[in-house]
Amino acid sequence: MTRNLPPALRAVLPETILVLVLVAAPLLLPPLGFSYDLLSRVLNWGLLGLGFDILFGLTGLLSFGQAAFYGVGGFVTAYLLVSGKVASVWLALAIGTAAAGLFGLFVGWLAVRRIGIYFTMITLAFAQMAYFIENSPLSDYTGGENGIAGVPQPKLGFGESALTISAGLPMYALLAVAFVIGFALARRIVMSPVGSILLAIRENTPRVAMLGHDVSAYKLAAFVIAALYAGLAGGMLGSFQSYMPPDAFSLETSGQLVVQTIVGGVGTLIGPLVGAAIWLWLRDNLQVIPGLGALWKLVLGIAFIGLVIWLRRGICGEIIHRMNKRREAAAVKAAQARTEAIELSEAGSAAGEPASEPAPVTVRDIVLPLAPPSRGSGDVALATSGLSRHYGGLKAVDDVSFEIRRGTIHAVIGPNGAGKSTLFKMLLDEVSPSAGEVRLFGERITGLGVTRTAQLGIAKSNQLNQLFPNLTVRQSLRVAALARSRGRMKLDLIRRSGSLPEVEAQVETVIDSLGLRERAETPAHILAYGEKRRLEIGMALATSPNVLLLDEPLAGMSPVERLATRDLIRSIAKSRTLVIVEHDLDAIFQLADRITVLYEGRLLADGSAEDVARNQAVQDAYLGGLHS
Amino acid sequence: MPSWATLLSQAFNGLALGSLLALVSSGLTIILGTLGVLNFAHGALFTVGAYAIFVAFQYTSSFFLAVAMGSVFMLVLGILLERVIVRLFYDRPHEDQILVTYGVGIVLVEVLRNVFGSHAQRVPVPSWGTGVTEMGFLMYPTYRLQLIGMVAAILLALYLILYRTSLGLVVRAGIENPGMVGILGIDVKRTFLVVFAVGCVAVGLAGMLYAPVVAVSPDMGATFMVQSFVVIVLGGLGSFPGAVVGGLIAGEIISITSAFNSAYSDVMLYGLMALVLVLRPQGLFGSEGRV
Amino acid sequence: MEFDRRRLVLGSIAGAAGSSLGLPALAQAPAKVGNFPEGVGADSVFVGLTIPLTGIFAADGQDEKLGYELAIAQINEGGDIAKAWGLKGKGVLGKQIRYRVADTEGKPNVAVQSATQFFQRDKAIMISGSVSSAEAIALAELANREKILYLVGVAGANEVTGKNCQRYSFRVQHNAFSGSKALAPVIAKSLGKNIKTAFLVPDYTYGHSVYESFARFSKEQGWTQVAKEMVPLGTSDYSSALLNIANSGADVFVNVAFGADAVASTKQAEQFGVLKRMKLAVPNLSGFQDKELGAEIMQGVYGTCEFWWSLADRNPLAKSFVESFVAKNKYHPRWAAHVGYTQAFLWALTVERAGSFNPIEVIKAYESSKANPYESTLGKIYFRAEDHQAVRPVAVLRGKAPAAMKGPEDFYDVIDLVAGEEVASPPDALGCKLGPV
Repeated sequence: MTRNLPPALRAVLPETILVLVLVAAPLLLPPLGFSYDLLSRVLNWGLLGLGFDILFGLTGLLSFGQAAFYGVGGFVTAYLLVSGKVASVWLALAIGTAAAGLFGLFVGWLAVRRIGIYFTMITLAFAQMAYFIENSPLSDYTGGENGIAGVPQPKLGFGESALTISAGLPMYALLAVAFVIGFALARRIVMSPVGSILLAIRENTPRVAMLGHDVSAYKLAAFVIAALYAGLAGGMLGSFQSYMPPDAFSLETSGQLVVQTIVGGVGTLIGPLVGAAIWLWLRDNLQVIPGLGALWKLVLGIAFIGLVIWLRRGICGEIIHRMNKRREAAAVKAAQARTEAIELSEAGSAAGEPASEPAPVTVRDIVLPLAPPSRGSGDVALATSGLSRHYGGLKAVDDVSFEIRRGTIHAVIGPNGAGKSTLFKMLLDEVSPSAGEVRLFGERITGLGVTRTAQLGIAKSNQLNQLFPNLTVRQSLRVAALARSRGRMKLDLIRRSGSLPEVEAQVETVIDSLGLRERAETPAHILAYGEKRRLEIGMALATSPNVLLLDEPLAGMSPVERLATRDLIRSIAKSRTLVIVEHDLDAIFQLADRITVLYEGRLLADGSAEDVARNQAVQDAYLGGLHS
Repeated sequence: MPSWATLLSQAFNGLALGSLLALVSSGLTIILGTLGVLNFAHGALFTVGAYAIFVAFQYTSSFFLAVAMGSVFMLVLGILLERVIVRLFYDRPHEDQILVTYGVGIVLVEVLRNVFGSHAQRVPVPSWGTGVTEMGFLMYPTYRLQLIGMVAAILLALYLILYRTSLGLVVRAGIENPGMVGILGIDVKRTFLVVFAVGCVAVGLAGMLYAPVVAVSPDMGATFMVQSFVVIVLGGLGSFPGAVVGGLIAGEIISITSAFNSAYSDVMLYGLMALVLVLRPQGLFGSEGRV
Repeated sequence: MEFDRRRLVLGSIAGAAGSSLGLPALAQAPAKVGNFPEGVGADSVFVGLTIPLTGIFAADGQDEKLGYELAIAQINEGGDIAKAWGLKGKGVLGKQIRYRVADTEGKPNVAVQSATQFFQRDKAIMISGSVSSAEAIALAELANREKILYLVGVAGANEVTGKNCQRYSFRVQHNAFSGSKALAPVIAKSLGKNIKTAFLVPDYTYGHSVYESFARFSKEQGWTQVAKEMVPLGTSDYSSALLNIANSGADVFVNVAFGADAVASTKQAEQFGVLKRMKLAVPNLSGFQDKELGAEIMQGVYGTCEFWWSLADRNPLAKSFVESFVAKNKYHPRWAAHVGYTQAFLWALTVERAGSFNPIEVIKAYESSKANPYESTLGKIYFRAEDHQAVRPVAVLRGKAPAAMKGPEDFYDVIDLVAGEEVASPPDALGCKLGPV
């Protein structure tokens, strides 16, 4: 149906449908028990929910403290108007919204460093604190538990001719306009580069940091956006009902928002609105049933438990899921079939002898459109001195100093437990050393953190895949390429995510060099194992690093895939420095220019591949360590 | 500035208050630590405990017999809730678990309201606990003194279960590394059932013992639930010793603040919680990133 | 674009009415005010009741609801009781009262939401009910904006008919000021002048309002305050505040806490031995405090109450109220029920006096009731035109010892019924400025 529409219209299809629904609602819904007031309230909750959905649905941060910002926005607006400090409702709304944003900046700054339940708890703590402060120390301004009565309604126009937007239909219209604008803006944010990064943060936070995005800053941005939406909604609440209620600040407000969002559908933007409509409607109409009386809440509670048990994705989430399932079922099925075929052929080739020698090695020259960060001109790309990492008494890495020459393939080998992965993690400051330091082109990078080092041009593919499971190959690579083109943090909220030409060119180049062209639109979790490994490398590559660290890139691959990946590594190495940790010594000796050998955390040997191969100590170590 | 005598008596009161908060929170924290479920029905279960002793006491007229009957009831309720509802949510996201337990909380409270009405019910102080004890520097209700002892005994029993039995070993292993317990072939689901039930009994006991002190009404649990959140954050999410120490700290904060101005005790409590989350998010006994 | 639908509609109707009838604009109330006249059906009118049925105020809310329901049934029936109040025929102006109860959960925001639904969906002609000052203030504000009558339920803070008074609202319950002014001299009479007081004050407007009023009148009696403990609303453990009170050396413990808070704090005060050493005074007794705490604790407590059922002995309307309530609901009504009951009857009477449901006419009739007081369960009472506060007697109660109780609910002696004029606040003292109709 939608496919026949012109692209310009299809781009604003959700907004168009929303406008139609909001126009139709006051005409069609009142007989069902939706008064204008109820519809307006639903919109107010929906507006609050838009921000919350960006924070929770998109970024994956569950806040139990949105009431704090709803309340701050509401009470600042109401106080300014009722005290006569500001005459214009619009100006007061703007100030109230900004105040909520500022408070969000403060709370968020403290909260975004925490994850999971800790994040939830810190938001809850601040919201409760705000509630008690509103109720007691600030009650001279806020009216304490009485709230602020007599908040004026907004006016359109000036002076005598100004029209007051009164309760009922006019107020509904105002809230509908605010919601549509808020929705369009929120959708732009979701589709912006920032939105892509926030989504990736939900999927796999450490990986986003490793790609060079400042995760805390982006989370903070989402937090402040949510606070701004909450502040605006709070401000409008007071003006809408001529009364700013203290319950805006209560824990139940935050709780109700979470409930409505999840019932409506997380990550759909419209979900909180739908959830609010259902919740408020049930609330009002259950009470109307004769004889139910105070039982209404019990019925609602039971209905709610049922909803949570059976509607996993919430109402909008289920609808979108079913629609997509029908539309995309074929695509997903095909992708899965392809995956099975790939895995089957590999299993076959792994079991039997490779049918024939693979095609001759074709080393392509990968030229990435995004240039790596310019670095010093020295010969040494990466150097460590006295690098150590101790875990209690265990010396995982002990006093390791070596150099990695620019433009070489440098391998780090050693038996299991030699400290290779720990060393690797210290090279990009993913793990901070107990002693010693790492220098990139002569500049100390130890202590900068993984995001800064990524921006300085170090990328790493991990031993265990660190992918974004629900993002497609293209989306995943785009998130990586965005880190190079935009730096640690940039707030381009309105731009479309796929509209940066050099980023798209980068993504296409990497897709081709990975050989994942026909899998570009396949979600990462559907890919075959070998493809996932290549995507893992590809994401590191898409950041255009000067120095690329590959932690066991061949691990778990079939012989055919090993060959393909080996070629890929050679191609990559043509224009950058490569450091590899690998168990496959055959591959290493074919690939590496220089080799560093670790043994029990210490440097055992360091030199050209031939030197190391002849080194007696290395042979002993491997005989003793590997063949046990 | 309040006098030293006042501060001293408030410090002692903080201990009494804190021991109760510790008991209230211990059930929440072991469920969170083992099952990974933040139980939002916790406050309601506290209330159910208080009503359980209210009913049981009318039939038995013996405080301890009533506590025993109430505990059995809480055990059965805990098993039922785990089997029928909570079990469905182990592989669902945190927020779904929070939501469904939130719903369970509403249902429990409203069932109580419809059975018993909204009035506060009376649970008398047991005859051996009436009166005031003169302690030199302060006069303190005898029952509250005994309460400290009873709470300590229950916490000790919980400690023995959690640290001195094979079940406890599994529970603590589960807290350290949930995946590993499954790999070792231990019946995790069974452990979860037992832990959830024990958690319910613990919070139910808190409700029962507190019933003679507070107003037993359907909405009594809400404040306790939020306060026990504070306690487990202070002590470290999922940590049993953390809940005990966190409870004592929270009790002291509330009490000592009251020596200056009672109205600020809540603000201080949440302020401390925020401070701990910012400076030492894993709490006193927890490890971050696990939950 | 219709940004102000009502103003446009109102303008056109007023214009049409003015031109067709040719009446002078000022002499008569406008033809359309709020839901009038569209809310007046052929044989019935709708009344919306906003009452907490769940949440911490639910016990009083349930009681209040039963009071309204009883009154509405009696008004609709038009029997002897309605006649005794002075109503004519069945219903109000011959129209039956339809009603619905919405659960406010004790939250002002939900109360406003429910009331707006009544106004917009049900075309309510009057809205009534509350169990907190915050709800009452929020609802009165809404009523004023929508030009619909709102009759305050349970709400004791001075602000309701003081700083936050509204043209479209009336309160029958006495305010904190009157309660304190009635109570202090009675206690002073039995305990003497040289008294030290300790206050437990819940930290919200109601608490502050009651505290300020009682502190003022106890000071007039020559008492000194030795402790004042502010506690957050909804506290469940008062031990730290009670420790300070126990150590204060006071003679009278003034407990301002309300509802479940009053029950918990009083129970704990008893356990701390406070009640052994001090007399308990409760400026505003909570509805079920007696039953919830028991006579053992409540004996000897001084307090005021909007209504106590034994007032039935002094007044025929009170007698018929209490008897019919007990017959229907199997317990003695508390004062929340009485507030609902009286508000409903007084409204019906006022509407019949006005001869119209037009809120402006009804308000006029309310405001002129001083000249023509109502005969009520409390004797003669009236609403002041200046702040819409009822001037009505205040009952001062003392808890009975268990042995002296003549029935399971015979908890109090009414030791005084102080005349309304004696204890009413000066109309301009609490900052009320009524807006225009």
